[in-house]
Amino acid sequence: MPLEAPVLAQLRRIVGRDHVIDSAHDLRIFERDASIEGATPDAVVLPATNDEVAAVIKLAAQHRIPVVPRGAGTGLSGGAVTIRGGIALQMTRMRHILEIDPIGQTALVEPGVVNQELSLAAAAHGLFYAPDPSSQKACTIGGNAAENSGGPHCLYYGVTTNHVLGMEVVLADGSVHWVSGDAPDRVGLDLCGVLVGSEGTLCAITKIKVRLLRVPPTFATLLAAFPTIEAASHAVSAIIAHGIVPAALEMMDQVTVGAVEAHYHAGYPTDAGAVLLVEVDGIAESTHELMAAIRNQLTANNGYALREAKNSVERDLLWAGRKGAIGALGRIKPNYYLHDGVVPRSKLPQIMSAVGEIGEHYKLPVANMFHAGDGNLHPNILFDMRDSAVLHQVESAGEEMLRAVIEFGGALSGEHGIGLEKSAFMPWVFSPDDLRAMQQVKDAFDQDGIMNPGKIFPDPGRKQARLPGRTGLASEAKWW
Amino acid sequence: MVNAPTIEKPATAEELARTLREASNSRLAVIPVGGGRASEMGDPPDRSDVELRTSRLDRVLEHSQGDMVVSVEAGITIESLQSELHKKGQFLPLDPFNSPGHTVGGLLATGWTGPLRQRFGSPRDFLIGIRVALPDGRLASAGGRVVKNVSGYDMMKLHLGAMGSLGVIVAASFKVFPDALHDVTVELACKSFEEAWVASETAQALPLPPAALELLSSGRLIARFLGSKDAVERMVAELGWGKADPSVWVEHSRRGPSTWARIAVPRHRLHATLQSLPAGAEWWASPGVGIVHWSIAGGADAVRDARADAEAAAGSLVIMAGPDDLRREVGAWGRPPPTLDLMKRLKHAFDPARTLNPGRFVV
Repeated sequence: MPLEAPVLAQLRRIVGRDHVIDSAHDLRIFERDASIEGATPDAVVLPATNDEVAAVIKLAAQHRIPVVPRGAGTGLSGGAVTIRGGIALQMTRMRHILEIDPIGQTALVEPGVVNQELSLAAAAHGLFYAPDPSSQKACTIGGNAAENSGGPHCLYYGVTTNHVLGMEVVLADGSVHWVSGDAPDRVGLDLCGVLVGSEGTLCAITKIKVRLLRVPPTFATLLAAFPTIEAASHAVSAIIAHGIVPAALEMMDQVTVGAVEAHYHAGYPTDAGAVLLVEVDGIAESTHELMAAIRNQLTANNGYALREAKNSVERDLLWAGRKGAIGALGRIKPNYYLHDGVVPRSKLPQIMSAVGEIGEHYKLPVANMFHAGDGNLHPNILFDMRDSAVLHQVESAGEEMLRAVIEFGGALSGEHGIGLEKSAFMPWVFSPDDLRAMQQVKDAFDQDGIMNPGKIFPDPGRKQARLPGRTGLASEAKWW
Repeated sequence: MVNAPTIEKPATAEELARTLREASNSRLAVIPVGGGRASEMGDPPDRSDVELRTSRLDRVLEHSQGDMVVSVEAGITIESLQSELHKKGQFLPLDPFNSPGHTVGGLLATGWTGPLRQRFGSPRDFLIGIRVALPDGRLASAGGRVVKNVSGYDMMKLHLGAMGSLGVIVAASFKVFPDALHDVTVELACKSFEEAWVASETAQALPLPPAALELLSSGRLIARFLGSKDAVERMVAELGWGKADPSVWVEHSRRGPSTWARIAVPRHRLHATLQSLPAGAEWWASPGVGIVHWSIAGGADAVRDARADAEAAAGSLVIMAGPDDLRREVGAWGRPPPTLDLMKRLKHAFDPARTLNPGRFVV
């Protein structure tokens, strides 16, 4: 439903006439993020300051218009999709690094700053920003904070929430607040900790203070081939079970390696059933000892053709292959669909068998590239959206894979968020009481429900989980 | 004349939740108690009708060594948990002061940490699942048993350090860590504060910084290096401090004066904070974190002065233990946070009858 003319006029007064988009043609660009389902916003508004964000939200609140904050649109769970219409609040004009403090090792950034740009800027001081989603060349820090994004190096360094020190946020009533800050152990409730990862359903983020880390003095990056994906999974479980926590421990299967190699020529072995990319960092003595222990576990679990990067050029190439893998899949099929469920790490061999079987059952190609060390899967189901009959099959296969993850004691999402696409599955894990407690948080921040409505919580008005749920596994599991 | 509170020791989470609901329905005030090691933290409660003790909820629910994850009931002591983990070559990097006897639930509710925070962060960084009894008698879980999880709101953060004001933590899951290959403790005695401060900066600037580094008002420094043997030995040699017996950490963790405060500031402001404490003050600090624990001497005025300095540095001073009179006079928490109204909204959502710890926390 288009916004009323007076509302549009007011929006234009707030952000300037060039920064409100409402032509049907232009709005289509903002229909989607990197997931499957789309919906057209009624207007796209591009604020430049926190005051403008506050004024837009205040206006939206008066008229009960949904507001959906949006960064680079690289999200994988439909978090930025305006499923109930309303305003897409496009944050990318707010793209300044406001401060890098080399003494306190922090940075203050606007939400539209691109993840990789921050690490590049910090490098001048020997510092870096640890969370590194594969989309880091495009995704924004604001989007990362909203989704609590991960990345390969989160195995050792932790995810976004572990690196956000404080934020300036605008709430559903248009009020502006600072939550947390540089000092540890702040008095009161940890609002910042609750807001990070709230997927735009509690606030819009207008500034973020993040921790920066010192760039490690040395890196050791190693590629190992395995006959099968199950063998590689056993190697991952063995490494973790032996108390070794690498900086990153990534797996790619044969389908992925084939696509990556054709694109990047990084020297990945295309005959292998799977490869592991392992990185450790720190001082040379540490990396040597850790890498020796890792090599033992890899070879003891049928790893072969171990190849360590000899220099930073080789290291970068190996990582370019991993981080660019999802794009390289376009060589096989134009579209992909993936969930990012997480299993306890000892369950990797079983879940990878199950994922393979589900793909075969549906006769769909599946490309696996994932944060194996965390147990964080990314089975990419490859298809062609122009074939409308296949989409339903793809979604069903995805649902079955996620269901298997939950049966193995896992979680619905490790880093992509629940968003639109997994909200129907929330009752598999959380009981009505669990969900009600989360709803109480939502209501305390956004009583009228204007912030990113239709996300996270199951929506009775939308398609339901096809597979029946053993409801509330988190509550009923024997470990409670 | 105030009646002594009734003591309840439920045997299960369900029983605890029921007790909580009944108290709430009867408009009674409930004080959750773990090991009782932080019983003087916060303002003296306005009312205290029921002491709800978690001591019988003391089981390890599951320790999955291969997953490096443990789930426990809230009433288990940190020592019991560590000894279980130790059997499998793992540990939880939580080493609070005023030990022994803390329970896991109590540590989460109060947010107490220790020296290992320098390397491992706080439970904020390794608490991955939680189960909480709410005043209306419901049990609500969040998170899970995997190390990476963004399913739903991060309710773990909501209850961490919340002083049991929104619910009573009944169980928790943690990411645990492997015992270090090599673990060496060194120390240095300095003649002056400045000399000790410079030495602490040297230690932190090492390419493998200490996992724990404590600076004491006596001018003593204690550092602990964890890692591979060659790496640790090189760091220890470069630093040149004397080897110390690892038992110094047990001794250090026993610190818990009768009246003490935690001052937390951005770590680059800690030097000024330490300088501004009264001459002859007794304290111990984690310079890499930005926290100093101060054994309060000098009464209310000294607390007010130190708090003013801490708050001017964008930090806080919280009284960890002390006489009721002192806590009433200066307040346990100091300047209310600017987002207090939001916090009150959350309190009202979960505990509208103000059953839990009324008057003890900021909400």
